[in-house]
Amino acid sequence: MTTPQHQTIHEQVSLPVSVALEVVLQGIRIRLGRSIVTILGVALGIAFLMSILTTQLVTQGVSDEEKTRTELVRMLSFLTADTGPLHERTLGVIQAGPLNPLETRFLQTIREQGLTRLQWTLLNKSLPAPKDADVVDLPAVAKDASAVIVVGDGDSSAVDWSAVLAPARQKVIAITRPNTSATQTFAGGTLVTLSRELRADEKVSLAAAEKRERARSIWIIVVSLLVTVIGISNSMLMSVTERFREIGTMKCLGALSSFIRRLFLIESTLIGTMGALLGVAFGILFPVLLYSSSYGFGMVFSSLSWGTLGIYGLFSLVVGVLLSMVAAVYPARFASRMVPAAALRSNI
Amino acid sequence: MSLTAQEKLADLFAEPAAGQRRTIIRAVDVKKVYRMGTQEVHALRGATLDIFQGEYLSIMGPSGSGKSTLFNAIGGLSKPSSGKVYINQVDVAQLDHNELAWLRCRTIGYIFQSYNLIQVMTCLENVTLPMAFAGLESEEARDKGLHILKLVGLGHRALHKPAELSGGQQQRCAIARALANSPEIILADEPTANLDLRTGEEMIDLLAKLKVELNVTIVSATHDLKMLQKSDRIVWIADGVIVKTAHPSEIDFSKGEVH
Repeated sequence: MTTPQHQTIHEQVSLPVSVALEVVLQGIRIRLGRSIVTILGVALGIAFLMSILTTQLVTQGVSDEEKTRTELVRMLSFLTADTGPLHERTLGVIQAGPLNPLETRFLQTIREQGLTRLQWTLLNKSLPAPKDADVVDLPAVAKDASAVIVVGDGDSSAVDWSAVLAPARQKVIAITRPNTSATQTFAGGTLVTLSRELRADEKVSLAAAEKRERARSIWIIVVSLLVTVIGISNSMLMSVTERFREIGTMKCLGALSSFIRRLFLIESTLIGTMGALLGVAFGILFPVLLYSSSYGFGMVFSSLSWGTLGIYGLFSLVVGVLLSMVAAVYPARFASRMVPAAALRSNI
Repeated sequence: MSLTAQEKLADLFAEPAAGQRRTIIRAVDVKKVYRMGTQEVHALRGATLDIFQGEYLSIMGPSGSGKSTLFNAIGGLSKPSSGKVYINQVDVAQLDHNELAWLRCRTIGYIFQSYNLIQVMTCLENVTLPMAFAGLESEEARDKGLHILKLVGLGHRALHKPAELSGGQQQRCAIARALANSPEIILADEPTANLDLRTGEEMIDLLAKLKVELNVTIVSATHDLKMLQKSDRIVWIADGVIVKTAHPSEIDFSKGEVH
């Protein structure tokens, strides 16, 4: 008996990622038309989601801005009711602490009224110096002033209001915060409260409206997310299932299941990223342009919260890429596990 | 595996004496049951078959006879429900998917009825794809691919896509792809069924030529009389059982016996 000649079966070589990437890029290049359709499918889903998010942000921003503008007009009219028109007048500003956005906007509005001089004193020296104003010491702040405006979140109880107001032309103090100490100590002039405290019933109805608005926007976002999931899954599933036969052929030629999975993982990541980037760009561009045409560019651009928009964009990008990967890898996994004979038979 | 078991196996697969041919594929009592809903379909009811190296074997039988099932089982494309298939003395059922992939890549070349070329790739890319799976460098694969395409008479069409080729040319490309990693066995599933008579004949001549030149074993499932006549041995299968094995010279093709 001769020694049996056993042929050894080796492990199939696992191809490096670079080979898979090469095959994928070649594949995308070769079926460029089909790839573009799939990319557009992903882009459409993400553009839909992103445009919903952007629309919410733009309308929110515009409505906040309109409220702010109404408020500014009201504050200015309260002030001018006691001082008369501010044109060619001198005003004093006592800043006790950091300004809130409304105060900043209000002081900006006042500067635009054609003042002769804006005398500004900082009670706290660590605060940044104001622009377009003459920084003076506390005793000189009210010199020839028609009014002194007290702003900022800080303690002003040490100020001797009567002394400060002595050189003023009109003894008017305007406060933007209700709890300023001037309320108690100032006498012999006019005190204007620019801030407006909401009544209790107003607060309740405002909170209810906010809650309703929040529920509505969550609902809209959930629905658009669902539409995106279905849209992207559909286009990725189609692009994989129509290649079942190809996967079967590849398996007959000796491709490992892991190699096939890797192919689809890389391909779907590339396609998902491209589609999602495109979708985010269009999803921001269209609503912004659309609302700009009705509200005006300045209004939309100044009121839009760009930081939040960036976060939404990142979120949509991640959703797009993840969805594409999951939707492609699942059927590819299924196909790569099929017996080659079955994969070849499928006529999908 | 214990030593005694190994000895038994060695005995079973003892190298044949001089003059005898080496068995390259051995199927032992292969059965396959498909489940269709509640019904069980017995596609193969126990087929035993030895295929020798360098042989041109044809499997034939009416459709639904279990021909394709046997073919897929001996090619490692699907697992039998019971029974053993040994390719090169290795039990296919014992291989994991990794080793099966190796086997499909290096030992077996497949040719299909509908060619199964990857439509988006050129002929050359189709041929070099299995070489890439075997880990061959792309430069080397390119040269080898062109050489094989010339061998099957498709050198001038290397950079064409399958859609731009005739059926015969596509099947030539598929044959070239099957040869890519110099396999010992070529499995051809009705390779002439989609071709006209003359092109089919050309394909048969090409396979016969390759068999001699490259000393490959060819197993084909076919109805084609021309193909049956060229083969070394014909295996009849009917209703899931091998009913007859014969040399073409023993058969009168003018009678209806072949069907």
